[in-house]
Amino acid sequence: MAEERKFGWGPRKDNVLIGKSIQRIDGFEKVSGKAQYTADINTPGTLYAKLLTCTHAHAKLKKLDVEPAKKIPGVRAVYIFPAGDLKAEGAGEIFWDGTLIAAVAADRPEIAEDGVKAIIAEYEVLDHIVDEEDLKAAEAKGATKAVGKNAKGKVEDALKTAKHVHKGYYGVHTISHMCLEPHGTHCEWKADEVLDIHASTQNVSGLAGQFAGPLGIDAAKVLVTANFEGGGFGSKFAADEWGIAAAKMAKETGKPVKLMLDRATELKAAGTRPSGYIDVTLGADETGKIVAWDSHHWGSGGISGGSIPVGGIPYVFDFENRSRTATQLNCNVGPTRAWRAPPHPQLCILTHCAIDDLAMKMGKDSYDVFLTNLEQTAGTAAHLPETYKAEMEIAAKLIGWKEKWHPHGKDAGKGAVKRGLGMALHTWGGGAGGCACNVKIHADGSVESFVGSQDIGTGTRTVIAITLAETFGLPLTAIKVNLGSNQYPASAASGGSITVGGVSGAHRRAAQTALWKIFDLVAAKYKVDAGTLAAKEGSIVSGDKKVCTWKQASMLLGPMGLETKGEGPAEDGLTSSRVGGVQMADVSVDSETGIVRINKYVAVQDCGLIIDELTAKSQIYGAVIMGIAYALSEERVMDKKTGRYINADLQNYKLPRIGDIGEIVVNIYQPDSEYSRGVIGLGEPPVISPGAAISNAVANALGVRVPVVPLTPQRVLAALSKSKGGAA
Amino acid sequence: MRDFDYAAPTTVAEAVQLLQSHNGAARPMAGGTDLIDQVRVGRLTPDLVVDIKKIPELTAIDFSTTGLRIGAAVPCYRLYHDAQITAAYSALTDSATIIGGIQIQSRASVGGNLCNSGPAADSTPSLIALGAIVVIAGPKGTREVSVDTFCTGPGKNILERGEFVVEIKLPARAAHSGSAYQRFIPRNEMDIAVVGVGVSVTLDAAGQNFVAAKIALGAVAAKPLVADAAAKALIGQAVSEATIQKAAEAARAIATPIDDMRGTIEFRKHVTGVLTARVIQQAVERARAT
Repeated sequence: MAEERKFGWGPRKDNVLIGKSIQRIDGFEKVSGKAQYTADINTPGTLYAKLLTCTHAHAKLKKLDVEPAKKIPGVRAVYIFPAGDLKAEGAGEIFWDGTLIAAVAADRPEIAEDGVKAIIAEYEVLDHIVDEEDLKAAEAKGATKAVGKNAKGKVEDALKTAKHVHKGYYGVHTISHMCLEPHGTHCEWKADEVLDIHASTQNVSGLAGQFAGPLGIDAAKVLVTANFEGGGFGSKFAADEWGIAAAKMAKETGKPVKLMLDRATELKAAGTRPSGYIDVTLGADETGKIVAWDSHHWGSGGISGGSIPVGGIPYVFDFENRSRTATQLNCNVGPTRAWRAPPHPQLCILTHCAIDDLAMKMGKDSYDVFLTNLEQTAGTAAHLPETYKAEMEIAAKLIGWKEKWHPHGKDAGKGAVKRGLGMALHTWGGGAGGCACNVKIHADGSVESFVGSQDIGTGTRTVIAITLAETFGLPLTAIKVNLGSNQYPASAASGGSITVGGVSGAHRRAAQTALWKIFDLVAAKYKVDAGTLAAKEGSIVSGDKKVCTWKQASMLLGPMGLETKGEGPAEDGLTSSRVGGVQMADVSVDSETGIVRINKYVAVQDCGLIIDELTAKSQIYGAVIMGIAYALSEERVMDKKTGRYINADLQNYKLPRIGDIGEIVVNIYQPDSEYSRGVIGLGEPPVISPGAAISNAVANALGVRVPVVPLTPQRVLAALSKSKGGAA
Repeated sequence: MRDFDYAAPTTVAEAVQLLQSHNGAARPMAGGTDLIDQVRVGRLTPDLVVDIKKIPELTAIDFSTTGLRIGAAVPCYRLYHDAQITAAYSALTDSATIIGGIQIQSRASVGGNLCNSGPAADSTPSLIALGAIVVIAGPKGTREVSVDTFCTGPGKNILERGEFVVEIKLPARAAHSGSAYQRFIPRNEMDIAVVGVGVSVTLDAAGQNFVAAKIALGAVAAKPLVADAAAKALIGQAVSEATIQKAAEAARAIATPIDDMRGTIEFRKHVTGVLTARVIQQAVERARAT
């Protein structure tokens, strides 16, 4: 029988749970407030820490006096960060607004705030540069660095002979991650020098070493727990200097210390998505097939790099004749971190807006131009062109592309409000991440699993429970999932949409291994052929015949039960990688006020085998909302004069309201050919297309390109004014 | 956050006494939606917060043939839940429905919105357009002033030490009149106004000519503006696109916004014109519907 025992998913039609719409098993805890996030941890005696940051873009710290803070009753510890440590060599130069200088831990948050206010910090303000868009100004200040150039084919010749040539400028401003639960930790030292950490992290299994090094202790002495996490989006992989500060202050005071970033510091210091701007010339033949691409893009990821690399442009496509150059601006702005599908959203805007404008110039339907160029999709799995084609057809039907589309700027309506359609497409890897797990079947038939992965709000617990319940033929309620601790088998950080593949693959392997063992025991006991056995509806069956109950089968394991290990990823077909998606936007633009409204937004997405359709759809809804945010209103605003991040708060950092979202239609492309690919991650890809799709819809409505995202009313009006010969 | 004392008097006299006795360090509180936030961030550091909601007349509404009287602590939701007020004083209920979200509207009052004296306050242009009178109690007794002159700058108004607003009085509406308020915000809801416009118009019986008009602008100057020239451009004229555009142009001309992250001067002046024309149009439609 052994040769038949290969890891794999069952026939799609037989699935009881996999692929169905199932509510999260921890949903009640989350919506009722029962779930304990790191910000909720308050063990007895916990001190609260607050931060002093520098609000200059570039400055020399001349003096730092923390003694007044220490004198305040209730203040228990003051910690000085490396940037504030004037004794350290080369210290004292600050390069961006939000740099951490000191932390104060006190009995109450208000006292800690008073302590922060009491600290005396004096600076010599230095020259700064915060304009990430103005390449020439940055060059004049010597604040640029070439980060790559490569070319293939004969770009110049191809542009000369191209039937249609378009030259354009596009851009997307920097945004912050804006995690609802800010970055932070609760640190408590226990007996035997063990550091017990609750962290808001995407990296449960990988944090111990990051704390151990700076603290001078063994990684084995660091416990990390993250039962729930309130948003990370790629910014929560590290211990971070504020985590180390909390641990050190806890050590110094002998009390637990909780340090969660305040909202302003969260926005300034805990991660941004870098900006991107592009000058591009592209040419097409008479059919709309793009024959040449020549571009230079730039942007800033902060003072020490992290801008958009040269690869990846043009996005999704690659053309026979293609030249690309990238420049990094070293601006006095907070550092970048991975932001959901880095840097695809920017690449998509910089590429697909240019393609759409080419279509406008040709007087062609953008849909047809994208379709014509599908054969030129680049460096991706062979299935993609045909998948894109199928997804474009579905999306077009859902949004009514054929009925509603009009040539750019030719809305027949008479009023100030113009309507338009736009589209974009995207791709992503999403291959399974490294994951080890233990699955335990107790002698009474109860099942639990242990994995050092984390649920970053994406449904990891539910995915694991469904995988195990489906494999064992048990109800979801029979499975207990344990995750979020570095005491469980190590699992990769949740970034890159690798978690669903990682945990489902490893748990399926562990579960199938256990099940085969049980089948052998049942076969011996009940004199049946193990090869005919299956686990269904709480029983072990042979064909149509029930052999025994799950509980009876479990008793055969003896008093110790059975524990099996699962690992991954593996090349066994349970998981794979590479997805595509097509999104379309239907917008209305008020040409007098510049307001853009989303009427309808369609997202079609493939992602292989779906474990939980409800969770998968939720990911897409969330991604689209996040995309609408950066397409319409969300951006970091730096004040050029002072160099400060002036909208680092929830009032002026413009996230959309529910009323800004419009109707979202989600369609998961899942023919049997997708099921047979196995599980692929989906968390990131649907957030990629909205910037370009919405910008293209606005261009279709107005017949004028608003070059830089987000499409604020002011930028819309400026573009309209410029098109009429006025000032931009 | 600085600690403060709390008092909840039940009479106007008692409240005046408490405010007066703290030498400027006492603040009246109605809904508290502005005050508490300002105390939390340290912008205000009162020693005493005087809750005025327990004074019965401050939460009273009186709608009669002579006009409307609103206690200064009446929360917004009570205005737009009142069909009579919504029909007669539409501009004010337009404002009340968009000040914050539902939770805020259940606490926040028009009186508080006025006294916070933010240039972008949503209810003030409506009060100006509707000809409101502000009733103020203080150590020297009670006085009444036109809302037109109440605000004097960002966060500043004519209230003197020990004084607080007890009531807002709106005159009865003339026949064939209509009013409206709209604001421009970059998002669909719960945002601070970039431009706000309140308009009240009275038409002739045929609904063809402007008989009276009053227009006010918010968020485009250091205080809400009374757009007299814009109103004059309407009065005595036929209701037409051309007339309305003249008024819009006059409104745009008096706007003196600042450049900030909400928008440039040019952008905000432009939107002032667009919005003024749209709000006049809406007020006309409402006047014709009466």
